[in-house]
Amino acid sequence: MIRTMDLSFDLYLERRSWLHSLDPRVKLLFVALSLSTLLLFNSLPVMACFLLAFHLILLSARIPWSRIGWIWSKMWPLTLLIFFLWPLFYPQGERVLLEFWRIRVTSAGLIQGLAMALRVNALAFAFFVLLLSTDQAKLVRGLVKLGLPFEWGLTLAIALRYLPLLYGAYTAVSEAQRARGWMVAKGSLYVRLKSYVPVLVALIITALRMMDNLSMALAARGFQPGAKRTYFRELKLGNADKVCLFALIVLFSALLTARFRCSFGA
Amino acid sequence: MKAAIEFRKVWYWYEDSIPALRDVNFAVEEGDWVAIVGQNGSGKTTLAKHCNGLLKPKRGRVLIYGEDTNERRVEELARTVGYVFQNPDHQIFCPTTLEEVSFGLRNLGFSREEIEGRAWEALRAFGLEGYASKPPAILGYGLRRKVAVAAVYAMRPRIMILDEPDLGLDWGATKRLLENLNRLHEEGHTIVLITHNMKIAAGFSQKVLVLHDGEVLTYGPTRGVFKEIELLEEAALSPPQITRLSRRMIPCGMRGDSLTVEEFCEEYSRLVVRAKRASSLPR
Repeated sequence: MIRTMDLSFDLYLERRSWLHSLDPRVKLLFVALSLSTLLLFNSLPVMACFLLAFHLILLSARIPWSRIGWIWSKMWPLTLLIFFLWPLFYPQGERVLLEFWRIRVTSAGLIQGLAMALRVNALAFAFFVLLLSTDQAKLVRGLVKLGLPFEWGLTLAIALRYLPLLYGAYTAVSEAQRARGWMVAKGSLYVRLKSYVPVLVALIITALRMMDNLSMALAARGFQPGAKRTYFRELKLGNADKVCLFALIVLFSALLTARFRCSFGA
Repeated sequence: MKAAIEFRKVWYWYEDSIPALRDVNFAVEEGDWVAIVGQNGSGKTTLAKHCNGLLKPKRGRVLIYGEDTNERRVEELARTVGYVFQNPDHQIFCPTTLEEVSFGLRNLGFSREEIEGRAWEALRAFGLEGYASKPPAILGYGLRRKVAVAAVYAMRPRIMILDEPDLGLDWGATKRLLENLNRLHEEGHTIVLITHNMKIAAGFSQKVLVLHDGEVLTYGPTRGVFKEIELLEEAALSPPQITRLSRRMIPCGMRGDSLTVEEFCEEYSRLVVRAKRASSLPR
């Protein structure tokens, strides 16, 4: 039985949807614009609207609720941390809810804390829109098309490809050492870290061997850094991509105008 | 007498995956030499990892000398069950081969003298004395494999499990490795060997367990298992060539169950002698 990797390091979910078929460059622009817009606004309703919009985008791309729930399960500790810590460092506001020693918790602080927590989630969801709907190879192709040197793109693609393998190697190495009676020592952090030497050294040797084999395999298939290349899969903007690009730019301009001309969502 | 290894209705599945082991039942007696054979992905390594507690059954029980692996840690089971992994690089980390071979012994808390004695003995057994002070990571693949086996051999576990130890080794090195295992076996150790090499299974093991899609297709004495051609074919396996040749010669008077070339030659010589005698009899 082929063992499935416990940790795949790839969030991509294969679906047939409008979002999946979009050019990765459009989705990269979406992420960039979302990040800049989110950092411009502070208000709670705006953050909530962004978050809602990202959820709707994901659902329309047939990303299941279970996966959205998984994202929330990873995000909630950070969300709670921001929500509870923010009011402690934001004492402004008229309505004081709690005051002791030097700490002053106000309703404005709480609202701001919630807004900030939602902002972090919205920022994360903007990335998840990209990562859940774009496979790694396509993402790297998009980056290369946007001007990233091919060698860097290849390095990124290899790094992403080898992460699960390295994790697999880590599991295998620790299993092999445990089978020889090795266990993590009890005691101080230094002692515990030192006891990891058998696993780390073997893992580094394995990784170096993998790297060596890979470089030879690349060389054997004619890879030359800086050489002129042709591409089997060329990215081209389709009509749907152009419509989305246009909609994104219009929406971003409208939000910028609303923010700076009408002070909306400050 | 308690079995060395006993699987009782064992089920195992990896996360989000179909069962890798389905209702596995079998027992390995102390001192047995068992070969586990099956296609890639049939569950051989999954099964073997249950023996030293690296994997715990999702359903059922695995008993090592009567003790449930669920109640023992891998590090404790390492005293009884030695496991040689497929890839030697997954365990090699020490600056010298001698230290590498001593690592398991130090973990098990042996005295300095005992560690040195056993480590050198293991190095000698595998012809590695000349490499004792060399870093094992820079040795060739065949030598690294030997180091990995010697490191577990030095621990002298009552049960020794080897996952495809012949992988990447030439026949000479494989034979020497198997002879060393044979010596351990003669001393009373239980050997469990995962292999794709039917010649090894036929020539060295007393029993063969055939796995197919996580199920035990058949388990029993080697000669008997290699007679079950149809069952083996179901698992996309085939007996060694010499067994197949011997089967083809049943019409000529051969028994058809030779497992090794030596056995075949012996039987064939008897057949020829008998035929000669028959032809020299007066009509």
